[in-house]
Amino acid sequence: MNLVEVKSLSKRFGSEHAVDGIGFELAEGSATALIGPNGAGKTTTLSMLAGLLEATGGEIQRKKNLSIGFLPQYPRFFPWLSALEFTEMAAKLSGVDAKKARQQSERTLGFVGLHQVAHKKIGGFSGGMKQRLGLAQAIVHQPSLLLLDEPISSLDPTGRREVMELLKSLHGQTTVLYSTHILNDAEEMTDQLLFLQNGRLVEHGSLSEVRSRYEDPQIRIRFENADAAEGFVQQAPWPAVVKGTAAVIPVKAEGPAMQEVFRFLAVKNLPVVGVEQETASLEDIFLKVVAGK
Amino acid sequence: MKQFSALLLKEWRENLRNYKIFWIPVVFILLGITEPLSNYYLPQILDATGGLPEGAVIELPDPEPEQLMVAVMGQFQLIGMLVLVLAYMGSIAGERRNGTATLLYVRPLSYTSYFLSKWLMASAVSLFSVWAGFLAGYYYTAVLFSAVPFGEFVAFAATYSVWIVLVVTLVLFASASMPNAGLAAGLTLAALLVLQLIHSLFGSRWEWSPLRLPNYAASFLDIGPDANALAWTLVISLACLIILAATGIWFAKRNRAKTKV
Amino acid sequence: MMDERTILLVLPILVLQIALMIFALVDLVRNPNPNGPKWMWAAIIVLLNLIGPILYFVIGRRNY
Repeated sequence: MNLVEVKSLSKRFGSEHAVDGIGFELAEGSATALIGPNGAGKTTTLSMLAGLLEATGGEIQRKKNLSIGFLPQYPRFFPWLSALEFTEMAAKLSGVDAKKARQQSERTLGFVGLHQVAHKKIGGFSGGMKQRLGLAQAIVHQPSLLLLDEPISSLDPTGRREVMELLKSLHGQTTVLYSTHILNDAEEMTDQLLFLQNGRLVEHGSLSEVRSRYEDPQIRIRFENADAAEGFVQQAPWPAVVKGTAAVIPVKAEGPAMQEVFRFLAVKNLPVVGVEQETASLEDIFLKVVAGK
Repeated sequence: MKQFSALLLKEWRENLRNYKIFWIPVVFILLGITEPLSNYYLPQILDATGGLPEGAVIELPDPEPEQLMVAVMGQFQLIGMLVLVLAYMGSIAGERRNGTATLLYVRPLSYTSYFLSKWLMASAVSLFSVWAGFLAGYYYTAVLFSAVPFGEFVAFAATYSVWIVLVVTLVLFASASMPNAGLAAGLTLAALLVLQLIHSLFGSRWEWSPLRLPNYAASFLDIGPDANALAWTLVISLACLIILAATGIWFAKRNRAKTKV
Repeated sequence: MMDERTILLVLPILVLQIALMIFALVDLVRNPNPNGPKWMWAAIIVLLNLIGPILYFVIGRRNY
C-alpha cells in the first residue's frame, strides 16, 4: 500500500530546474532516505511533498486525508512561546482536539526528552533542543507521513545518536522520508534509497539492491609487512595487488572463495594479520553514483 | 473554528509577551493628555521661553473643548497611525521572512483563520489604545477647560474607531501581500498619502468616501454629520474592509511558498 | 509656577513616560539579541522622549 506516489515531479525556479522529473513511491510504514549533494533538490522535493511549494510539472498523489508532519532543516520557532504552548498549538492546527492536544504534547515532549523544559520559553533553547522540539512538533499529531529535512546533520555526535534512536523507534509505525548527507546514519534506517543529483533521480532501490549494483567485493589480506604482501601476490594463483602492507584480491564472479584463500594461506605459512571480505559502504556507493553520472 | 481559537491564542500571547498591549496604549494616552495640557500651559510656556517683547500682554482665548478633541484626533492621525503601522507591519510578512511561519503553513491551515486571528487581535489592541487615548484626552479637557457632552464624545470616538479598523485591515493586507515588513509599512503609508492627496484634489464631493470618516467623527462634536452620507460611508467602508481582508487572505495563501524553509 | 495643581496634572505624563522608558530598558537588558548595540539603544531610549522607547520596541527589539 503506497501512501504517496510521485510521478515525473518537476519544479522550476525561473530557468533553473531544481527538481527535474523525479518519480518514486512511499510504501506505508517504510523509511526512505533522500541522498544527494548540496543543491541536488532534496529540500525542494520535501517542500513540495509538504504542500509548501506548488510543482511546475508532474504530480503527487497522496492517500486521502493524509496527515503530514514536517521538520525543516532549520526549524524556526516563536521565541515567546513555551515548548508546550508551541506543540499544543501545532497539534490543534493539525486537527487534534484541545484536550488531546495537551496530552499528546506532554507525551511527545517526554518522548524527545524535553519534559523538563516544557514550560520554558523557546527563545532560550539551544540548537539541539530546538531540533528535538522540531521533531516533537512534527510528530505530535501522530501523522501517517513524516518528512524530515536533514534531521540530524546540525547536531553534535551525541545528539545525532539520540535523535537517530528516536527516529528508529518511529520506524514501522510511521512512514518516514528524510534527507541526509550523513550516509552512515542512512544505512541504519532505510528501506528505500533515493539518490538525487542536479534535480534528477540518478539511482534508487533498497539498500541491498543498490549495493549489489555498485559494490566491488574484494578480499583484503593484511600482512605484517609489505614484503610478505609482495610475496603473496607473486605466489598466489589469483590476480592480486599490493596495497600498503595488504594484498587485495577482487572477487567478482571468477574470484576465489574465502575458504580457498584460507587454505592457500595455511599452506604458505605467510605472516598474516587479518583477512576480511569487504563490501562497499553507502559512502563508497554515493561517490560512485555521483561520479558516474 | 478550532484553528481560529488556537491562532487567536497565539496572537494574544504574542501581543502580550512583546508588550504591544502595554506600550501602544501608553503612547496613545500620552498623545491624548499632551494636547489639552500643552494648550492649558501655553501662556506660561510662552512666558518662560521669553519669546515676547517686554510688556506684551498675552491674551490667548481659551480653546473650545471640541477643538481640543479634534486636535487629539489629529495627533492620532499622524503619530498614532504611524505607531500602528509600524507595530503591525510584520504580522504576516515578518513571520514568513524569519521562517516561523513555515511550521504553521505545513499544516492544513485555514488562511482565513490565520488572517482573521491577526486582524482581530491587532484591531482589538488598536481600538483599546485609541479609546484609552481619547478618554484620557476627554478627562484632561474636562478638568482643565470644560467637558464635551459625553454622548457626542462617544459618537465621535466610535466613528473614528471604524476608520482605525479599516487602517488595521490595510496594514494586514499589505503585510500579507508584500515580501517584507518594511515594504508593507511603505505600501500602507504610501496608499494613505496618495489617497488623501487624490481626495483633497478631486474628492470635494465624495461624501461616501471612507477617508471622510475622521471628518464625520469630528463633526459629531459640532453640528453632527449628515446621517445619509455617514450611512453610505459606513457601507462603503465595510465593503472596502471585506475586499481588503479577502484579498489579504488570498495573498497570505499564495505567498506561503515564500516562507523561509 | 509649579503649584500643586500643576504637579498633579503633569504627574501622569511623567509617570507614563518614565514607566515606558523603564519598561524598554528592562526589556533591553534582558534581550539576548537586540538589533544593534545595547548602549546605543539605551541612549536612544533615555534621550529621545517617547519616540525612543517606541523606536526600540518597533525596530530594536527583534522579537526574542
